[in-house]
Amino acid sequence: MELLDIQGSAVPEQSRTHIRIPFELQAGADRMQIRFEYAPKILEDREAALDLLKESYERYILPEQREQAIARADRHLPLKNLITLSLDDPNGYRGACHRHDPVQELFVSREAASPGLMSGKLEAGTWIAMLSLHCIVTETCDYRLRIRAVAEEEPA
Amino acid sequence: MSWIACELHTHTLHSDGRQTLRELAEGAVKLGFGAIALTDHNTMSGLAGKEEIEREFGLTIIPGMEWTTFYGHMVTIGLSEFADWRQGGRSGIDRGIAEVHRLGGIAGLAHPFRIGSPACTGCFWEYEVGDWNAVDYIEVWSGTFPSIRTDNRRAFELWTAKLNAGYRIAAVSGRDWHEQEDTDEPISVTYLEIGEEESAVGGHSDKLPSEERLIRALGQGRACVTIGPLLTMTLEAGGEIWPIGSAVPADLPGTGGTAPEAGEAVRVKLSLDFSVRAELWSLPGQVFKLKLCSNRGEEASLDLPAAENIGRAGYSGEDLRRLEREAELPGSHTAAPRIWLRAELWGTVRGAYTRIAFTNAIYFDSEKEGGGSR
Ligand SMILES: [Zn+2]
Ligand SMILES: [Zn+2]
Repeated sequence: MELLDIQGSAVPEQSRTHIRIPFELQAGADRMQIRFEYAPKILEDREAALDLLKESYERYILPEQREQAIARADRHLPLKNLITLSLDDPNGYRGACHRHDPVQELFVSREAASPGLMSGKLEAGTWIAMLSLHCIVTETCDYRLRIRAVAEEEPA
Repeated sequence: MSWIACELHTHTLHSDGRQTLRELAEGAVKLGFGAIALTDHNTMSGLAGKEEIEREFGLTIIPGMEWTTFYGHMVTIGLSEFADWRQGGRSGIDRGIAEVHRLGGIAGLAHPFRIGSPACTGCFWEYEVGDWNAVDYIEVWSGTFPSIRTDNRRAFELWTAKLNAGYRIAAVSGRDWHEQEDTDEPISVTYLEIGEEESAVGGHSDKLPSEERLIRALGQGRACVTIGPLLTMTLEAGGEIWPIGSAVPADLPGTGGTAPEAGEAVRVKLSLDFSVRAELWSLPGQVFKLKLCSNRGEEASLDLPAAENIGRAGYSGEDLRRLEREAELPGSHTAAPRIWLRAELWGTVRGAYTRIAFTNAIYFDSEKEGGGSR
């Protein structure tokens, strides 16, 4: 059963914000299937990327080292968008998937879960999927989150 | 007492690491570690099955999580439960640290000066800490061959500045270990001191140092950091021996404190143990410098000439496993009281003159407040 299919478009101004997506889970689910994806992953425009990096060097690197940092800016390229997913069940945290993969097929069940998520009872009630927009470097970044509940007799 | 070699910052494929906990444990044991902290980003799911892996490899695995937030990364270890990293903005970290403490854990700034977003999202510490007394430790050395890196130098300076301001904060290294890759760079180790009765019984390793004791040791600053020999020190005052992490009372004669009878010399015993993690490091022969530093600056410097490589065969090619030195410092006085003291080992490593090892601080209570909090 589909619980959620949500799409959106994030912009750089939304960097460092969370998007909280509550959804209801009915009793009787054996497995929760999550597909999370976003695109683009990479800022292809090299000049734009270098401008962003220069800005961040101003903020994070000592003045006497900035010139050298700019000369070596390639080590920080390409710049990437990063959105991570974390999950809460009605009782609390069920883990996070902090990694760079822009497409993540995840699941949670009583016995097992994808790395980062915690296996355990799939309790009925309000769950929350949280998208953490750590950094959006492209003009826009489209994301989509789909969550399905699967009962054993039903094919996944 | 015994010193346990620890790696306090690691990841598995439960976050963005490219290794399982088993692979990590196997690699840690090969590198001579007795304990690691698993600090995956924003999850503790990687700890499943840890007891079995601990037994299999004879390695203590401390539960932890790296808060991977928008305004900084914070390593939290020793909690059994999850503390929510998603709360609060730039000024909200104090509540987060309080929550970590409530759950029995301790918290440290991870790589506070590593470049931030967009190159490394949230990596630079931008939180406004309201109460630095609540911060348990700072990861002053991050990565391999950490001492020469500029961002680590800034972290080390931050630590020193906080000590100077009277805060009692521990300092550690953390490799931020994401995968089993071969490196020929020096690897840093944080040694934590636990009591003899707390470590392996009867010299057998059937009993691992418990995570609670390691956490307590770090919380109390009983820590030494090194890319080579284990450098430790004790201070003698009032007929007692004061170890690293302790606070010497102000009214004790011979402490160099601010009490009226102060002004007496302070006696410090320095010890270098070359037998630790034998075969896993070496340093070229040279004249090393052993320094005593405090809020009053560099207070003493001793030369340690070594004709040959040290490490694999002890000191200077002799069969010398351990080197002891004593130093005497003038007592301090009310005008410029000594409030903390640490030892450092300096030398040339891969062409760079740098810190090789340092201890955490011994503190001196001032007459008025009777010392800090932790
Ligand atoms: Zn980090
Ligand atoms: Zn890390």
